[in-house]
Amino acid sequence: MKSSFIGRVALVAYLVIFFGYLLGPLFVMSMTAFNSSAFPSISPWACYTYEWFDVLFKDERILNGIRNSVIIGIGTVILSVSMGLAAALVLTQVWPKFRSTYYTIIIAPILIPGVVLGISTLVFWDRVSNFLGPSTEAFLHNGIFLTVLGQSTFIASYAMLVFVARLQRFDPGLTEAALDLGATHTQAFRKILLPFMRPAIASAAVLAFLASFENYNTTTFTFGNYPTLTIELAQKVRYGINPSISALAFIIVMLTIFAALANEAYRRNKQRNEDARLKGVPRKAGRVLPSFLTGNPAAIIFVLLSFVVITMFWTAQSYDPGECKARVLAEKQALAAERIEALRQQRFQQRLEAAHSGVDIFGRSTVDPTVTEAPAAPESNGAFGGVFAPTNLNSTAPAAEPESNPGGAFGGVFAPTNLQGTDGN
Amino acid sequence: MSKPRPFSQFFRNNGKVMGSIMLFLVLFWIVVLILLPQLSMLDFSFRHNLPPSEVGGPKDVYTLDNYKFLLFGAEGSDSRFNTVDLQVFVRTIIAAIAVTILDLILCYPLAYYLGQSKGKGITRLLVVMLIIPYWINEILRAFALRIIFGDAGLINDVLLLLNLIQEPIDFIRADVALYAGLGYAYILLMLFPMYNVIESLDRNQIEAARDMGASWIRIHRRIVIPHAKPGIASGMTMVFMLSAGALAAPQILGGPSSLWFTQLVYQWFNDSLNWQQGAAYAIVLLVSSIVIVLTFMKIFKVNMGDIGK
Repeated sequence: MKSSFIGRVALVAYLVIFFGYLLGPLFVMSMTAFNSSAFPSISPWACYTYEWFDVLFKDERILNGIRNSVIIGIGTVILSVSMGLAAALVLTQVWPKFRSTYYTIIIAPILIPGVVLGISTLVFWDRVSNFLGPSTEAFLHNGIFLTVLGQSTFIASYAMLVFVARLQRFDPGLTEAALDLGATHTQAFRKILLPFMRPAIASAAVLAFLASFENYNTTTFTFGNYPTLTIELAQKVRYGINPSISALAFIIVMLTIFAALANEAYRRNKQRNEDARLKGVPRKAGRVLPSFLTGNPAAIIFVLLSFVVITMFWTAQSYDPGECKARVLAEKQALAAERIEALRQQRFQQRLEAAHSGVDIFGRSTVDPTVTEAPAAPESNGAFGGVFAPTNLNSTAPAAEPESNPGGAFGGVFAPTNLQGTDGN
Repeated sequence: MSKPRPFSQFFRNNGKVMGSIMLFLVLFWIVVLILLPQLSMLDFSFRHNLPPSEVGGPKDVYTLDNYKFLLFGAEGSDSRFNTVDLQVFVRTIIAAIAVTILDLILCYPLAYYLGQSKGKGITRLLVVMLIIPYWINEILRAFALRIIFGDAGLINDVLLLLNLIQEPIDFIRADVALYAGLGYAYILLMLFPMYNVIESLDRNQIEAARDMGASWIRIHRRIVIPHAKPGIASGMTMVFMLSAGALAAPQILGGPSSLWFTQLVYQWFNDSLNWQQGAAYAIVLLVSSIVIVLTFMKIFKVNMGDIGK
């Protein structure tokens, strides 16, 4: 009994750690989109703001990147889904001796590093355009063309896997029956196989589009003059970041959550309808909730989350963080002034020490007022966690007591490194 | 069937139009997109980096120089071996293996838990929660970790606040952020294959073993792990190949002094514009990671056909 309790606790702790690792970073990143501090962070929380969404929607390069990503995504979906479907159909018919070699070849692109795929595509089409002459160069060196080909090389393998799973449940007798009844092969394909494969085609298309949308390794070699959204993001993240990227991340996270919840709610609802039909009892609506929502937690979360987002939109129209920002600015200025004052005191003290080296009492009495000032500050400036981090306080605390060695204590408080450290915030 | 005649059989099964469309698409994929580019990259890696006017001229001959450079460095350099690049290479491979093992340890209990407790509502919610990070852009996931691990990041601030450390720890320079980021990026590719396989394991086997008095460790060693081997192999292969070939996470989370091997390839292509040298490095990366995967598959007796299931 006791050991099972420990096991339960361990399991919960493990789940918390695992999902914390998985979802925590996304949550923190989403929060930074609403902090007015110019560097994406949440720990010195300044003001709640929507301004980074404004910055995001005015960013030409991001918008252009989204456009390119969508064009490339559509091209990749068409090419990789059709190649994946053909390859899966051939796999069911290829003669057994050759089967495993064939499977190895078409599964290999998943395992080849994306960097290698990008490079090989670039090198190969460069060769082709050299071979065919300069008239084809404009087309063959086009970033969209190369990126679609490079991405389709491995995305087609994903699509193929989806189709193979679905094809295992296909009854070839259906096609044979259609052929016996006089349908042409094309008709049989269109009327029998394609409708059966439709769900798989839909999920393969979604998978392919998302894989194309977020691909970086291959695209970074092939994009040419058409940087995709991922390329633009990588550039921004590598060279100077601001929270508008967090704003974009928040939007993407929300869209993903909504899509996942909607999908789950839809499936749950369908399944429950099915169950009800099998039992022969029509589903009754709950007392409070409409029938779609009863016993469907995903749908309930979906609706609640929609309310939150709508509220956010609504408040965003009227909300103005100007006042808060002004206050933060004032606090910052006060802090800076304080720091300058402290620095001046320090210089003064240094000069005094230089002049009367060894005159301990005099030096201490001149500097004492700042000591009583410094520890009092944190109460009013809770936001600047970094500046008044415990390290700082620790070294100031003993300084307030005259018994301790004043020279050493002040050295800690006003050491140049200390000031540099706080400047970072 | 006395003599197999695959092509006529194929066209009889599928009709002329559909058969040729299918064949065309598959051949286009295999030959034009998979085989020829790899071969042309291989060919490229054995050539000199020549100005366009000399391509095809008398100087355009095959050479091993690009591979020699990786091993021995530039001619006339002080050290005998190209220690800088070789170190990066070895570090990349070892770190990728470490990331793979880390992911395996993290994922196995969850895969087992999810796979064995099917049907409950909480399980489905957990699976939905797992899928969400999978669809977030790789760049954004790396960015999220950078916010957390940065100099003025969340972890440092919390540690400072709790008075556990006196100075912010430079997680980025220590490569902690990089390893956490790589593990984070591909963790689900480890989880899902394992989950799928363990889900198909008959629970009665475990019950039976327990009734016979098998210990907890023994049940896993003798029943669950042998059954889950294809899934484990599939997940480990994917995570290893992807982290060895990762580019985004090292670029964003890597320390200034430590490079990932793919970053060297990237530099040869985009900064030095020496495609031949870059192709040689890419070939080395591709071949060595395939060799490592095949060796491990041989040791643990897993077939290629199990991958991707």
